Amino acid sequence: MPFFDVIKWIVWKDILSEIRSRESISSLFFFALNVILIFSFSFSVDRDVTLALMPGLIWVAFGFTSILGLGKSFLSETHNDCIGYLQMAPVPKGAIYLGKLAGNLLLMLFVEMILYPLFMIFFNLDILVKLPTLLIISLLATIGLSALGTLFSALTVQTRAREVMFPLLLLPLSVPVFIGAVESTQGALSGDPYSFYGHWIALLFVFDMILTIASFWMFEFILDY
Amino acid sequence: MVSLCGIKISHTYRFFKALKEVSLELQKGECYALFGPNGAGKTTLMKIFATLLQPTSGTVTIMGRDGVQDREEARRFLFFIGHGSFLYDDLTAIENIEFAIGLRGWLPTLGEIKMALDRVGIGPYASQKSRTLSTGMQKRLALAKAILAEPNLLLLDEPYASLDEKGIAIMNELICDFLKKGASVLLSSHDRAKTAEVATHAGILHNKGLREIPVTELAHALF
Repeated sequence: MPFFDVIKWIVWKDILSEIRSRESISSLFFFALNVILIFSFSFSVDRDVTLALMPGLIWVAFGFTSILGLGKSFLSETHNDCIGYLQMAPVPKGAIYLGKLAGNLLLMLFVEMILYPLFMIFFNLDILVKLPTLLIISLLATIGLSALGTLFSALTVQTRAREVMFPLLLLPLSVPVFIGAVESTQGALSGDPYSFYGHWIALLFVFDMILTIASFWMFEFILDY
Repeated sequence: MVSLCGIKISHTYRFFKALKEVSLELQKGECYALFGPNGAGKTTLMKIFATLLQPTSGTVTIMGRDGVQDREEARRFLFFIGHGSFLYDDLTAIENIEFAIGLRGWLPTLGEIKMALDRVGIGPYASQKSRTLSTGMQKRLALAKAILAEPNLLLLDEPYASLDEKGIAIMNELICDFLKKGASVLLSSHDRAKTAEVATHAGILHNKGLREIPVTELAHALF
């Protein structure tokens, strides 16, 4: 079966299930909204401090939302033993991984697209001009987080201590992604020339490549036997 | 033509030996029924043939393909209906079929899907989410997927469980259809009378090994 058809089927199934159930999207949105509200009340006194901390705030919100969302990625596959069907499907397991990754990525990006306007409203940010750069940074960082999150979700989904194991595995390995994301967001928000923070975006790109390729390769060993 | 040939399979879960040496060979158009008490290793054996478990030792050959080394190829020929329904709760019956068969490399038309659903008696529920279907109807839906998948080897783990009388009759009719088309069927069951209607060979898993019994003696065999 063509590789890209498998990806298409997995994405179609995941998105359709999510649209029908709204299980992940609603919990992710309200979780992120709470984080933004808490931050906005905590830092409302000093706007300069808030602005200096903004990249960290954005990525704390996005990061924890990712953990919540990605951890559930393979949970739906355990209902009715659907993961067994994926295992038995006569298709390359790497294509299943890329399908799940694409589905997660779309879900996370959708939530982030809702959160950016909320950040602008609650923190009175004027970032419309910087938005294209911020979106590229978000895309690259979210690819890295989703690549790792999808892999570890598959790895931990059938373990008893899934909720403990998943963040324990994901957080240490996603540190380079968070550092790259925070540093490049800082540069973009400060209005620095691209050459000042471009290397952080390049670092994100390199990490995305490494994490996606490594996870793609390892996924077969996780899903099969 | 040998469609399935398992030679000296054994499986160990850590320190627990689920199966000792089991040899089983199934020809085209044959239906092998596995019996045995709970915990005898029926599901383990089915999962090994479904390529969901790797045997600790021995070989599994499906349509000439090694079920371990060449399992990706071997999987094209088999279809497994197990205890889990393999259905996504938020997809409709039609969408579940589209996804399952789509992953096997082709997309049946809506007419073909509806025909398969009618064949198993759940045509009126085609547009309902699978979460709203009863366990028996979910099993029928799994059977509809098998009709469209057209496998060379059909693996059925306790196929009569959760089915009503009509469902059991449909199941047996379909097994006969599969056999007529040249497919092989391996099933595990506790219902000797219903199984005897379709089985061409039978075996009892006992003491982790397989003992063959004539189908005619199925009703009276002690195990």
